[in-house]
Amino acid sequence: MSINQNENNLEKKKPSGWHIVSSYVVQNWWVYLAALLLIMVSSKLAVKIPQLIGRFTDQLQHGTLEVQQAAHFAETIMLISFFRVTTVWLGRIIINGHGRILVYQLRKQLLKKWSTLSPSYYQGHSVGDLLSHALSDVEVVRQFASMGISQSINGLSMLTAALYMMAVHMNWHLALAGLGPLIAIPILVGYFGPKIKNQSMHYQSALGSMAQLVEEVIGGIRVVKAFGNEAVTLHRFEEKVEKIVHEKVKFVRLSSLFGSLLPFLSSIGSIVVLSYGGYLTINHTITLGDFAAFFLYLAQLRQPLEQLGQTLNVVQRAAGSLNRISGLLSVVPDVVDDPDAKKEHRVIGNIKVKNLTFRYPGTEKNVLENISFEVEKGKTIGIVGALGSGKSTLTNLLLRLYNPPKGTIFIDGVDILKIPLENLRHGIAYVPQSGFLFSEKILDNIGFSDNSPDLEKAEKAAQSAVVYDNIVEFPDGFNTEIGERGVRLSGGQKQRVAIARMLYKNAPIHILDDSLSAVDTKTERALLHNLRHNSSVKLNSLRRKTTLIISHRLSAVRHADEILVLADGTVSERGTHSHLIHSGGLYSRLWIMQSGTEEEQKVVGVDGNVRYSEPDLSEERNGLPLSLEGEPA
Amino acid sequence: MTQKAKSGLLILLPYLAKYRLRVVLIFAFVIIASSIDQAQPYIIKNIIDNHISVPHPDIRGIFRISMGYLGLVLFSFGLTYYQDVLLQFTGQSIVREIRTDLFRHIQNLSLKYFDQNSSGRIITNVVSDTEALNNFFTDFLTNTIRGIFSLVLIVFFMLKLNQTVALYCFLMVPLILGASLIIRRGIQKVNQEMRTRLSAAISFLAENLSGMAIVQIFNQELKQQKEFDQRNKLLLQSTILENRLNLLFFLVTEFLGDAGVAGLVWFGGGAVIRGSISFGVLFAFTVYMRRFFQPINNITQQLNVLQSTIVSSERIRKTFKEHPDIRELPSAVSPSVIGRVAFKNVTFAYRAGQNVLKNINLEIKPGERVGFVGATGAGKTSLMNLLARFYDVNGGVLEIDGQDIKNYSLESIRGSVGIVQQDVTLFSGSVLDNIRFFRKEIPEIHVVEACRLVGADGFIRRLPQGYHTVLSERGSTLSSGERQLLSFARVMVFDPKILILDEATASLDSISEAVLQEAITKVSYGRTLLVIAHRLSTVQQMDYIVVLDHGRIVESGSHEELLRHDGFYQRLHESGILLEGVAV
Ligand SMILES: Nc1ncnc2c1ncn2[C@@H]1O[C@H](COP(=O)(O)OP(=O)(O)O)[C@@H](O)[C@H]1O
Ligand SMILES: Nc1ncnc2c1ncn2[C@@H]1O[C@H](COP(=O)(O)OP(=O)(O)O)[C@@H](O)[C@H]1O
Ligand SMILES: [Mg+2]
Ligand SMILES: [Mg+2]
Repeated sequence: MSINQNENNLEKKKPSGWHIVSSYVVQNWWVYLAALLLIMVSSKLAVKIPQLIGRFTDQLQHGTLEVQQAAHFAETIMLISFFRVTTVWLGRIIINGHGRILVYQLRKQLLKKWSTLSPSYYQGHSVGDLLSHALSDVEVVRQFASMGISQSINGLSMLTAALYMMAVHMNWHLALAGLGPLIAIPILVGYFGPKIKNQSMHYQSALGSMAQLVEEVIGGIRVVKAFGNEAVTLHRFEEKVEKIVHEKVKFVRLSSLFGSLLPFLSSIGSIVVLSYGGYLTINHTITLGDFAAFFLYLAQLRQPLEQLGQTLNVVQRAAGSLNRISGLLSVVPDVVDDPDAKKEHRVIGNIKVKNLTFRYPGTEKNVLENISFEVEKGKTIGIVGALGSGKSTLTNLLLRLYNPPKGTIFIDGVDILKIPLENLRHGIAYVPQSGFLFSEKILDNIGFSDNSPDLEKAEKAAQSAVVYDNIVEFPDGFNTEIGERGVRLSGGQKQRVAIARMLYKNAPIHILDDSLSAVDTKTERALLHNLRHNSSVKLNSLRRKTTLIISHRLSAVRHADEILVLADGTVSERGTHSHLIHSGGLYSRLWIMQSGTEEEQKVVGVDGNVRYSEPDLSEERNGLPLSLEGEPA
Repeated sequence: MTQKAKSGLLILLPYLAKYRLRVVLIFAFVIIASSIDQAQPYIIKNIIDNHISVPHPDIRGIFRISMGYLGLVLFSFGLTYYQDVLLQFTGQSIVREIRTDLFRHIQNLSLKYFDQNSSGRIITNVVSDTEALNNFFTDFLTNTIRGIFSLVLIVFFMLKLNQTVALYCFLMVPLILGASLIIRRGIQKVNQEMRTRLSAAISFLAENLSGMAIVQIFNQELKQQKEFDQRNKLLLQSTILENRLNLLFFLVTEFLGDAGVAGLVWFGGGAVIRGSISFGVLFAFTVYMRRFFQPINNITQQLNVLQSTIVSSERIRKTFKEHPDIRELPSAVSPSVIGRVAFKNVTFAYRAGQNVLKNINLEIKPGERVGFVGATGAGKTSLMNLLARFYDVNGGVLEIDGQDIKNYSLESIRGSVGIVQQDVTLFSGSVLDNIRFFRKEIPEIHVVEACRLVGADGFIRRLPQGYHTVLSERGSTLSSGERQLLSFARVMVFDPKILILDEATASLDSISEAVLQEAITKVSYGRTLLVIAHRLSTVQQMDYIVVLDHGRIVESGSHEELLRHDGFYQRLHESGILLEGVAV
């Protein structure tokens, strides 16, 4: 079975989601046909067994049966049974297997689609919801495409075969009377199924809401205890538990009723056959063997009929799920390559922003207003501003996570809308505000831009990011698994690993979005030093990077060639550090708040020992680069 | 089952004992309903042998029996329904009690317990382990009770029909059980593997979706898709295998059932020919033969549930055996607190032998404002933990208003000591409920006053529904400054005599900090104020400052005094630590 075939066909947009399954079935028609034949053969064989027993009974009753003949009957039953079991098994694993392959392809297609969508899509769709809905929809499709199809084929073919045997070979009156109550089974299942499912969801959500409370209370146990609030919390917990019991009892009422109706119906069927069939037997309308066979048919049909009912539910749910999945697969990404993008353009590193005004799609307020600045290749620009002033938005636009308006952002003189996404992003290395890491090895994280990360290169990047010493202290060094979202690293270590990841990429443009907030002052200084002098980083390139540093801590940007102060999306001040601290604006006020009134600072390690001191600001004002004694810890 | 495992299930006993009447009733119902169900083949046999296969068939007899049986079936229908509801309800009542007891118990444990056990584990205990007990009632008990009685009844009816044939039939039992157990074990293994692979695939997806921007910025879409494909393929393989095994199991039992029938045809047929049994008996045997499988099937299926119940109940039992380290004395008092605090030669260790506080001596008068500074890990927070009696001192005495803190009731300590911590914990619920901590008896007007006091009123009123705005995702939509103000207001609602601020402003940007700074000044009147801070501007305002280092008080005095002293404080002051307060 080739599992990768036909994938592309899934992508084609069609109005109804049924297309996803039907086109898959059509493309694999011969497989499905084979399975269908196998199952039909199996049903045909299955209904032979009660018939055989009927004949055996008749011969027995008439005293015409010999002992060897009985043995012969037994052999035939075994043989038929063996074949009916094997054929149905084959038929069903073929169908079920293919259902699972379809689902495999869907999962693959979904990730492929999701990879093309920009943050604005994820803004409106929380990852949790997206994932849980998509996955539960996929799960429903799996049920439909495997169990649903195979059970309905099996159920229908068993029903037809048995009905044919009973009505044609025996007595159609009795067949109808006996099967009557059983025919109600799929209807009942179809009726109760959704109700039970619905109630079960209520139950689950009651359970979830209790779990959430427990999580909050355990997470905040210090606060609960500090306020002596245990009694109040216990009371809230009891309410949640009460709700669970309430929902469960409602659920049980339904499911128990349903659960006891099924055996009841088949008992009714048996009673009909017993009385009416008994009457017919005495009348000699049917033989005793027929009478016995009827009971066996009823027993044989019960399970396929129940499954047929389940299929009804699955079909109902699958309709919705398939539509949603096909909707997901046909989302049109909003950030794509321009048709006449300059395919061969490679980023060199000159950034120019011209009269940039931007608002997020679907919002009213301009987040950036009339921003202009230029950074020449190899220069550093610092951007500071309060929370929400638009700093991250600027980087989002530079990276084209959102499309900037036409003619506002240029790299090397080319409008970035005309640069292929791949080339643009190849040219920019970035550290996100969140310092997002993957739950892989440290090496894989640092070398994320590489298919097979190079240890030596990663080590150098880690050294420049001042995180090397931390990494080698871990028992597994660079091979340490960092756990989900890097939980095994401290906030500052995470940020520095993310910086190492940026350095590893070795792109002409560096963007650091508030990536030093959890790094202590001393390390920050060493790190900034390394960034400025990245000629000391032997990452097979001696070129200086164009650097954009965003921070709410001024110490991170003071060495920049130019500093922009953003306030409410506009540039309120700009200039060098020394220029700005004397201008008496927001920057100088922040500077006073953040550094105290002191101008001289010494660095003390967390253990309180003075390690080395930084030259005071007067030296800085002369534009002298910061010098560091020795290697940073 | 080992001794240890059994003792886990014992926790259910006292609860079951409470409901013993119902349990007995349920058992009785099950027996009656199963009897009616399993009598059916026997009745058919009677009809065949006594009313059909006789020289003078008797149609009226057939109808009579049928009608009688119909009545029984109706009765059994009602009984089964009622019994099931009763069982589930009893199970739920027990689970509810266990849950509440467990939660109450855990909540009363000391912080030491929470230090030693991950929150994930505790949550699993309260949520999933108790849910496993629930499954024990809904799945295991229902199916096994019914299954066992059905089996017993089938055996009973078979023996009653004909002992020799019955004994032959029982030869099938080891075969069925063996096949069942072998395939089930395989299924279980594959199932486990499948679940692991599924969660690997899902967590990969989850992570990549939340980091999609990073993936795109680094141009790694294809690499990540390939990686996902590997997991996806592994998952595919195990789902296919799981399905094949499950179907195999189902069909093997079908085949064995047919084989049993074939055996009956062969041997039983001979017996009928020889006249040692009647045809009706043979027919009833064929039906019983087929019915034999279902209960066995159902019971083996429940073994997993039993296993997980044992594991879960053992975990619950262990939790119940934990005892809080911090206990109230029977003679504990709850006087109104004035706010004098005294540490007398206090020593404290989280783990024996590693003292984090050593010979602390400190007197704080009511209404005094004291700053605490020191490097990360110096023991500042630990000092405050003692004052809130989260932990008990290992040596020395900690006094409030001249009385050992152990003489107070926990309620009175925690009512008079308020702490604002660096990381704010908010709960799902409205702003109002968060500030009054879900105590409905505290009127809204009180809450508003507290918010005015700390300067939170303004931003709260600007929220869509003001004080009644429901915080989404535990307030993650608020800025950290706003969250901090809420937690500050929450402490003020309870009007503590001793107010502790533990780096409450450290994670804020300069502007939010200024707002909070103002609030601190406003609320400090009439309270003993203990402030841990890194910012000079905060500490400077205090009456005096205590400098901690490696668990000892190394200096104390006013800002000016300490600067003149040229000691540790002076060094801290010159360093980045006092200014920035951001540490890794
Ligand atoms: N995806 C978005 N959709 C709509 N508004 C946004 C989005 N991201 C940020 N904003 C808004 O844009 C403004 C600037 O945000 P941001 O650039 O993140 O600021 P900064 O990085 O300076 O803290 C804020 O008011 C924020 O609420
Ligand atoms: N719950 C705990 N269990 C074990 N050790 C702890 C715990 N909390 C803190 N410690 C340790 O106690 C010492 C003092 O910590 P803490 O009082 O939090 O310092 P500070 O608040 O001054 O930064 C540190 O070495 C820390 O690792
Ligand atoms: Mg930002
Ligand atoms: Mg602390």
